[in-house]
Amino acid sequence: MSSRIGVDIGGTFTDFIVYDELGDKVIIDKIPTTPESPEKAVIEVIKRNLNKEELEKVDFFLHGTTVGLNSLLERKGSKVGLLCTKGFRDILEIRRGDRDEMYNLFWQPAPPLVPRFLRLEIDERLYADGSINKKINTDEIKSASKKFIEEGVNSVAIAFINSYTNKDHELEASKILIESGFNGQISLSSMVSGEYREYERTTTTVIDAFVKARMSNYLNTLKQSLNDLGYKGSFLVTRSGSGSMTFDEAEDRPFETIMSGPVAGAEGAGELSRKLNNTNMVTADVGGTSFDTCLIIDGRPQIQFEGKIVGLPVQSPWVDVRSIGAGGGSIAYLDEGGLIRSGPQSSGALPGPACYDRGGKEPTTTDAAFYLGMLGEGKLASGLQLNKSLAEKALNSVGEKIKLSAFKTAKGILQISSANMADAIREITIEQGIDPRELKLLAFGGAGPLMSNLIAQELDIKEIIIPPYSGNFSAWGLLGADLLQMNAKTKILRLSEESIKDCNVILDELFEELQKRQKIDFDTSNQIKDIALDMRWMGQEHTITLKLDSEKDGKINLKAEEIKNLFMKEYQRTFGSKLDTIIEIVSTRASLRVPLPRKSETGNIKEENIEISKDKIQCFSFNKNEIIDFEIISRSNIDSNFTGPKIIVESTAITYVDVNYDVRKDANNNLILINKDMK
Amino acid sequence: MENQLHHYKCGIDRKAERDDVDPVTTQIIRNSLNSAAEQMKRALCRTAMSPVIYEVLDFAGAIYDNHMRLLAQAPSLPLFMGTLNFCIEEAVKGVGGEKNLNDGDIIIYNSPYGTGSHPQDAALVAPVFFENELIAYTAIKAHWLDIAGKEPYSTDTVDVFQEGTVYPGVKLFNKGELVDDIYKMCIANSRVPNSVAGDINAQAIGVKAGATALKRILSKYGIKKFRAAAESIFDAGEMIVKNYLKKIPNGEYSGSGQMDSNGVEPGNVPFDIKVIIEDEKVILDMSEAPPQQNGPINCPLPSTVSTARVAMSMLAGSNEAPNEGFFRPIEVITKTGTLFHPVSPAPVFLYGWPALQAMEVFYRALGSKFPEKVPASSGGCINAIVWWGIREKNGEPWADGAPHPVGQGASSFGDGATCLHHAESATRFAPAEVWENRNPWLVNRVELIKDSGGAGQYRGGLGVNLEFTMLEDSYATTVCERTQLPPWGLNGGKEGLANNCYVIEENEKITEKPKATRVHVKKGNRVLIQCGGGGGYGNPKERSSEKILDDLKQGYISKEYIKKFHPEVSIS
Repeated sequence: MSSRIGVDIGGTFTDFIVYDELGDKVIIDKIPTTPESPEKAVIEVIKRNLNKEELEKVDFFLHGTTVGLNSLLERKGSKVGLLCTKGFRDILEIRRGDRDEMYNLFWQPAPPLVPRFLRLEIDERLYADGSINKKINTDEIKSASKKFIEEGVNSVAIAFINSYTNKDHELEASKILIESGFNGQISLSSMVSGEYREYERTTTTVIDAFVKARMSNYLNTLKQSLNDLGYKGSFLVTRSGSGSMTFDEAEDRPFETIMSGPVAGAEGAGELSRKLNNTNMVTADVGGTSFDTCLIIDGRPQIQFEGKIVGLPVQSPWVDVRSIGAGGGSIAYLDEGGLIRSGPQSSGALPGPACYDRGGKEPTTTDAAFYLGMLGEGKLASGLQLNKSLAEKALNSVGEKIKLSAFKTAKGILQISSANMADAIREITIEQGIDPRELKLLAFGGAGPLMSNLIAQELDIKEIIIPPYSGNFSAWGLLGADLLQMNAKTKILRLSEESIKDCNVILDELFEELQKRQKIDFDTSNQIKDIALDMRWMGQEHTITLKLDSEKDGKINLKAEEIKNLFMKEYQRTFGSKLDTIIEIVSTRASLRVPLPRKSETGNIKEENIEISKDKIQCFSFNKNEIIDFEIISRSNIDSNFTGPKIIVESTAITYVDVNYDVRKDANNNLILINKDMK
Repeated sequence: MENQLHHYKCGIDRKAERDDVDPVTTQIIRNSLNSAAEQMKRALCRTAMSPVIYEVLDFAGAIYDNHMRLLAQAPSLPLFMGTLNFCIEEAVKGVGGEKNLNDGDIIIYNSPYGTGSHPQDAALVAPVFFENELIAYTAIKAHWLDIAGKEPYSTDTVDVFQEGTVYPGVKLFNKGELVDDIYKMCIANSRVPNSVAGDINAQAIGVKAGATALKRILSKYGIKKFRAAAESIFDAGEMIVKNYLKKIPNGEYSGSGQMDSNGVEPGNVPFDIKVIIEDEKVILDMSEAPPQQNGPINCPLPSTVSTARVAMSMLAGSNEAPNEGFFRPIEVITKTGTLFHPVSPAPVFLYGWPALQAMEVFYRALGSKFPEKVPASSGGCINAIVWWGIREKNGEPWADGAPHPVGQGASSFGDGATCLHHAESATRFAPAEVWENRNPWLVNRVELIKDSGGAGQYRGGLGVNLEFTMLEDSYATTVCERTQLPPWGLNGGKEGLANNCYVIEENEKITEKPKATRVHVKKGNRVLIQCGGGGGYGNPKERSSEKILDDLKQGYISKEYIKKFHPEVSIS
């Protein structure tokens, strides 16, 4: 039994999906997000789709939320104080000295999350190897505690230099802080991250301290409300680093959820890839404001170990999703040099694209696509009829200045945005030493299937996959997010039999800590231990993360020579070159995966039938470079193979199929588009 | 030798008649080129061996067309970027001209008068062929940790031959094959051979990555369309800068600056720059500069030109990374045999410092008439230190180095930012925890300096103190300029704190060492780098008392500072 609910809160809409295994039934729904108290929309959408009896049968509630992220974006969080090593109170403000916009003479970094007068120094110091240079001054902590209480600080971050290698000073400081009367919450950098780089680790700790209270309140309220409705199953929330974590753990480690927005889509892609025998693919998730892409190799999204959000580094595992500001609502304009650009400004939910007739005057990608006929009749699921003359007017407002017709402007906007999307995909793949031509393109999100032909052609990708419920695929992805925890420690070692023993000691500690963190109310007997090493040639800074096959015991059972060969092979694959000096292990990584019970594989999911009043439309074929008739069909009616030109309509998205594509439906109800012009 | 006036037009004009390429294709090709340059950078950073490259980002990577016009660049070191066309030109000359170029060649070139830099900044240049035609070049100039000069880093060279081994444009790769003889020479001529081997590898990976990406664009659009788009890209860039210049009335504005010393002789080295605005054109006249110096503060022409390119791009470029078109409205006038156009064998090791000064003075000159358009002076230096030694535990050599950021000048737009780089705007310094893993030292503090920002309606950004205790004997070369000319204020704003560098012995004896070579820092001694603050903007009386009191509360300023600059504000 594994019925489950997924609710993903986005900037504009809160997506809902319920999967009932017994009936092999899926219900999807969408409701406007309620930014002030996001749980309202969550509860509302659940209530209107499930009654108490049905809800009682559900085992898992999987949640994607932007509460932590919004707290940062809006700078609404706890009043945070920072305890730091003497001499380092300003690292939050000094950063690394770089200018984010390098050709902007007047660029200013955002003010730090903790103002200077609440950043207090403690006389203490550790060496890089964790040994003590200066014992901790306990009197200073007591007076810091007093100051924090006086100033009404309700959350304290403690981040000492080199504490990633020895937690003792931070633990002691925390203890004294509590003993001397501070009763707010405390975040320790050594618990947040075991990796080096004090600016990055301190910032992450401060973010943790900043969002914790709000996150905790939110999760508790939601939990309570769902229990009141009759829900009795487990509560899980997605992590920025893929997978999910329990609400209880998320309350302890809220920073791990900060960037979970685009993760659900990546998770879904991973699950789909595993179903298709681990097919390597790259995603094209095109929403209203952004384009997100992620590489799926061996059935899993790629993970990075540091991310950046609103200009702040977050030292935490991070699904490598690259975003650019290009989506259906992206606004096209002329730059200073007179060239057309698209995004990153978006028309948002309001006023929306010009053709929505809600006051938008500037042309968006949606206006361009609609004008060219790619959106069929332009009747949205909500019943809204798009207005073509408004789209034309908006397109002309840009095109006229450079003597382009509305038609050419529209075509140009789509070409420019799809080329930008292709560039982002190219960067994310080539960087990993992977040729995009060897991949399949998985397109989803409201405008992903619409743009998929153009993107794939830019990249010479032959095959496109459009999953069922493609517009809501992210919510679907939520449902398959295994429980996952990750932990890492920086200790720089030269690769040898001896250092492998050291790594195994570290792994023991890391796994032990992960077990302690687990607050799980379901069966974990099938948990999997994964291990990886960050490695490099001595002298380099950047590392390659080498995943190692782990036995059940979560230990490295390879010889140094074997690891060396694996590393050299991976380096060669990634960079196409070889070196021969000493190899270093920089960080050791442990992760614990508890797979959720598998969902049914029958996958007999019904598509909603869409009423179509016209069976064809005049639409632009990018392949033929002319306007021709495209047949409009409802996705639910597809039962045999066919060839473009077609406009395929489903409740959450529209797929544009140009003349050079063959289409079939696979056993899992995915649409497979094959470019027949390509070998 | 006769000193001659030299006019340099910073951007190359159109090479082809207006060709029909639509603005859409142009934009797509422009974005793809930027993406190709970005791929070069990522490949380089991820494979480089020296922290100066991967952490400090002391390099530039860019793509040029066959006329050596800048098509696209990766965000990296602007001052390097502005010299790359010279590097390509000289590298190609070095191998005997275009006729000797083949697909798969990579040329190494580092002759200072052609790169504009010291020999450590080595350029790798790869010609890109498509359908048997030379279409473009990809180039990366990056700082190597050591290239066998008289010291790993020097402030006191007396000719260019003391500054490092010179590779005058020779093929490191010939038709895709590594030229082993040259490679061995490069490795042999370094105190840190492993690092150099790794960086050569990384740079080669970088230029190849660019070439591959470029060929993909060419195969998609074809040579004709590609070239037509390039012309349009340049024209669009030119328009951006011209639109800015249009708003500045014609006139001649001047500013002065100074170098603390030439490195080998006492005494300041003052210089003047004239900025002439003439019908959407800007001319930087540096011809009144003092004669070339006996010490290494001479700035070869490529870096002088680069300074002009960068200064204008940052001011007038709409916050965008420039291409060749941005440079077309810019001209530079120099005189041979002077500080900004030295001739061989004048020493040039510290070329970057006069270049940075020139940039500040350029803004100063404009600010004399249009203070609302430019910032007050920043700390005005990158306060670099290069360190090296032999590790006690295993006898292995080590070396590291970094520039350090300064407070930025305030402007009519607001307070100056804390601790940024100016023309080295993408560079970063390493975290203390990374440093301490790598080098035998303890970082005592990285801390803002109270009262270091110049007072004004808008306050200058604060400077920073970085203090290190050496845990083993080591050597350092320090280069902090502008210790004697504090960051100037603008429009009534006050001066900021000047830079300096000190060695502090265990008995607390302090010695100033702002510009010194091979300083022996003994185990237990400390080094303090004082990175200055920015100048203030506008009359301090205009600053709101709310802001002043908040600055006090945060510890950015002291009560004494308020008494001195804001006497009208009462402190309870």
